[in-house]
Amino acid sequence: MVSINYSAREVCCKIVYYGPGLSGKTTNLQYIHSKVPQDTRGKLISLATEADRTLYFDFLPINIGTINGFQAKFQLYTVPGQVYYNATRKLVLRGVDGVVFVADSQPDKMDENIESLANLMENLEEYGYRPEDLPIVIQLNKRDLPNVLPVDQLNAQLNPHNLPTFEASATVGNGVFDTLKLIIRLVLEKAKATSAPKTTASAQPTVTAVPRPQPAPYPEPAPAPQPVAAGVAAAAPRPIAPAPAADTAYRPYPGSGTQPVKQQAPAAQAPSPQPPAPAQPVAAEVAPSPVAPPTQPAEIKTDEQPVAAESNAQSPQMAPSLRRRGEPKKRGFFKRLFGIK
Amino acid sequence: MSDDGLVIYEEEVERIDQLLNKMLKGAEAKCALLVDKDGHLITRQGFTHSLDTTALAALLAGSFASTKEIAKLVGEPEFSVLFHQGKKDHIHMSIVGERSILAVIFDDRTTIGMVRLYAKETAQELAKTFEDNAQRRGAPPEMPDDFADMAQEKLDDIFQD
Repeated sequence: MVSINYSAREVCCKIVYYGPGLSGKTTNLQYIHSKVPQDTRGKLISLATEADRTLYFDFLPINIGTINGFQAKFQLYTVPGQVYYNATRKLVLRGVDGVVFVADSQPDKMDENIESLANLMENLEEYGYRPEDLPIVIQLNKRDLPNVLPVDQLNAQLNPHNLPTFEASATVGNGVFDTLKLIIRLVLEKAKATSAPKTTASAQPTVTAVPRPQPAPYPEPAPAPQPVAAGVAAAAPRPIAPAPAADTAYRPYPGSGTQPVKQQAPAAQAPSPQPPAPAQPVAAEVAPSPVAPPTQPAEIKTDEQPVAAESNAQSPQMAPSLRRRGEPKKRGFFKRLFGIK
Repeated sequence: MSDDGLVIYEEEVERIDQLLNKMLKGAEAKCALLVDKDGHLITRQGFTHSLDTTALAALLAGSFASTKEIAKLVGEPEFSVLFHQGKKDHIHMSIVGERSILAVIFDDRTTIGMVRLYAKETAQELAKTFEDNAQRRGAPPEMPDDFADMAQEKLDDIFQD
């Protein structure tokens, strides 16, 4: 029911305008929006179709000011009236505090009124509401039209439980505010009736610290300025223990930046004047096509050693920070990628 | 469901805000909103001044509600995470406990992976906080007797044809 936020000092109620299609629910909200002072209401949001028929809901927040230290806020919703939108209509009713049923007073709309009212009761019951306990006001709309049914006849068919009723004409505003004022009053009275006596336990809830399994203070400055460490080593010290894979997977900068170095190195070393004898021809072979065929696994393995050893000593093209410094031997990127042994 | 109104206490919100701030710092996101599934905003942290958070809360709850129905149609009880990707800003939503939604708005200064990681962790902590509070608290405080009468006076002032 009514939402009470003791931190923000506000009471918030949800009021839904229900009724058959084209009965004037959205027009009610549009009139309220146009007449209420700007500092009292928020933006009117309509989730509507191209033809301005409500598709999901209209939403208008209203803040009537501070009462007993609490901001009294009301959220006005409409539902789509067409029969086939019952799924979305039901969603809007979730957590409702009061309902305005907008009935169309025209004779040919009576069946739709009855069907919509039955649908309202059915949806409320599915949510666990007892319709007799929920504040409901019936608005008999379109009273300004010429051939409308008399109020007695509408009441006889739509209001057997003597719910409060207002005659209205939403396009010109007659009865719109009366309806709203009454439903707000009924909602607040209901909230008062259902609120329980104050208890000391609720007045002073103590906050216990929830223990965290890991501290995980993510380092504020980006880890990018650590270029010396190689890819794997750079990612390892991150304090986010649970899912380092997700982290490195989405972070663009730390991870694989140093991997291509291994591919550059053979090309750079190919013309080297003093390579170790067995490695030189292999490096030359590998350089033009890094994805070596699996028929030469033994040869490819050997090219790592001289490259790693020489890249520190004589590789003028490479930045010093990218050189490998005494790391254990690693298999090449493409070998790991394609599962070459 | 019809009688379990949402009641939020100051101490609870302080704790929630701490958790949200920690998440924002870790994930480098712009702002976070905690929203009731009925569409009420519980609290918000971060750069929310330019946002209409009331409307945002209602629409986020509506979005989640409709997605839940979609989930049912494909045989899932509900989708626990929703992600909206924009050109600059994105929204990550996840369920917290039984009745709340954690929405995190972020831009390209961070990544969906980071937000998802921290949001998941925070949602678990928030859910635990809600559980602890639910066990500890008693009945909600009584509303003032004259609240409806005083509201009526305000309404008469505001709603004049």
